[in-house]
Amino acid sequence: MTPPPARAQRGIRRRLLTRLHAAIAVVIVVTLALPAVLPASALSTYILLELTAIVTVGVSLLMGCAGQVSLGQGAFYACGAYTAALVALHGLPTPLGLVAAPVVAALLAVTIGVPVLTLRGHHLAFATLAMQLICLSLVGRMSSMGGDIGLQGIPRLSVASFELGEDRDYAYLAWGALALVVVATRNVIRSRPGRALRALASSEVAAESLGVPVGRYKLAVFALAGGFAGLAGGVYAFYMGYVAPASFPLLLSFEYIVMTVVGGLGTISGALVGPAVVTLVVQALNRIATLQGMPSYAPTVLSYAAYSALLVASILFLPDGLVGNKRVRRLLLRLEND
Amino acid sequence: MSAFFSYLVGGVALGSGFALIGSGLVMVHCVTRVVNLSQGMYAVVAGLSAATFFGMGAPHGVAELAAIGVAAGVGFLTGLVAMAGRATTPQSSLIITFGLAIFAYAAESLLWGDQPRSFPGLPGAIEVADVRIQKQSLLVIASTAVIFAMLHLFLERTYVGKKLRACSSNPYAARVVGIDVKRMGLLAFGLGGFLGGVAGVLLGPLRPISFDSDLTLVIDGFAAAILGGLARPLMALLGGLLLGVAESMVAGYAKASYQTEVALVLMLAIMVGQRARLATIHAEAS
Repeated sequence: MTPPPARAQRGIRRRLLTRLHAAIAVVIVVTLALPAVLPASALSTYILLELTAIVTVGVSLLMGCAGQVSLGQGAFYACGAYTAALVALHGLPTPLGLVAAPVVAALLAVTIGVPVLTLRGHHLAFATLAMQLICLSLVGRMSSMGGDIGLQGIPRLSVASFELGEDRDYAYLAWGALALVVVATRNVIRSRPGRALRALASSEVAAESLGVPVGRYKLAVFALAGGFAGLAGGVYAFYMGYVAPASFPLLLSFEYIVMTVVGGLGTISGALVGPAVVTLVVQALNRIATLQGMPSYAPTVLSYAAYSALLVASILFLPDGLVGNKRVRRLLLRLEND
Repeated sequence: MSAFFSYLVGGVALGSGFALIGSGLVMVHCVTRVVNLSQGMYAVVAGLSAATFFGMGAPHGVAELAAIGVAAGVGFLTGLVAMAGRATTPQSSLIITFGLAIFAYAAESLLWGDQPRSFPGLPGAIEVADVRIQKQSLLVIASTAVIFAMLHLFLERTYVGKKLRACSSNPYAARVVGIDVKRMGLLAFGLGGFLGGVAGVLLGPLRPISFDSDLTLVIDGFAAAILGGLARPLMALLGGLLLGVAESMVAGYAKASYQTEVALVLMLAIMVGQRARLATIHAEAS
């Protein structure tokens, strides 16, 4: 096949770019309109979905771009939630809690990352798993953190005299946080450090010999992904009003992995599509499981089965995820990088 | 002093179980380079099915062997799925085995409910110089010794064992001399299921098993196996015993349930320590 002439190629690219921009605009309008029309139960699913997407964008950056597996991302989500809760409960201004949540989570990621990120592959996977278990059990023992009961009565977020009291406000807050995270990730991926991350994912030795500060970049991307999770956790704390160790089981970290893998590792669109699809499937199954005549254990059994079946099936049959399946991916990537 | 000895025996018994799980991880990792996160699940499946077989009136011995058989079958099946893709890398196989472990949650809570189960082991205890030792602990230690001796003979003295070792030292060369590497990988998964099943059947009477016990079991097993770099079953035995004794001492003297944290911190320390001695270029090559 002869390549099309350069001018025709530019034309195709420009048309695709306009289509992409149109698609993004449609997605923005629809997602912004949804909170206004959704019923209350669906709205809470929508908010939790947005918060999950904030985390999975970070997971996708960490796993897909930089090639570092983390099975303990829920720890940073929990860290953000607890930070926001503690700040608010000690009578400090609540926006400070929202700002502190990602910062403290990123600091935790740096502290953990210094020893742990020297590990690779399955060692890193086990180390991050261990990290989350240790964090949860420490929190469960500390009475200043509420122990196993957790922290209750977290005040709602309020800026000056304006209080975010409605669920809808939190939907928009989470939307804003997600948008911030997506823009930040897009800029990281396109930048020089982003290319360096992709290089060190394939070979650290090769990247190092080309002058990439491997250790520092791995730590930075780990902190960034941790900070994203912390931000989502902060919003979660203000939205739910209570946090407890049981809100952040290891299964939560597992869900993040499933969603990111199903969507497609290493792309922002995959990190957004994955959670949406998985959440819809699980919600649909949940509705079936809670029908009359179904046994009481049906919802948990079905959700375990759904998450694991989606994960295994997508690794076996869609190794690049939903977004990465078609040729579209190559074009999308090129457009994202331009 | 008598407390010390009873903690010691209890710890060695517990550590034997970890060593069995750890050696299952080692077998699978050597032959296929996959870290099998569903290794703890085999022990859970064996423990829960043993409880069911006892409930159906099976005598001792039969129920345990049948449960171990079930676990070996489950191990074989997970291997079949984990290596099903055309080009599954060890990394993606790890995520698949993680997924299968969660899938087992669904099957186990469907079959056995979410309450922990236990079943009777060897009843009674013996007294040696005023130290009370549970007979079941002695049974665990003795069976583990026998299993490890058999594993050693199997790997060193039989053709199938030698084939497995050939695959673990160089899969490419093994294929050149006509060994079916994929079949050996499945066999390793089955062996892992068997070893996990033995651990589950032996530990079942000592600590109740529920569907989500697999996570602590696989972490303990990994902590045991990592001492030998996931490559030597005998080092997994040593690691398991050390870990079991450490956990038992902490639980005995600190009067608090810090056992899991001990395993986790020990595992992290060993991994980071091992890594510090190895240059990146060697780590990437291996």
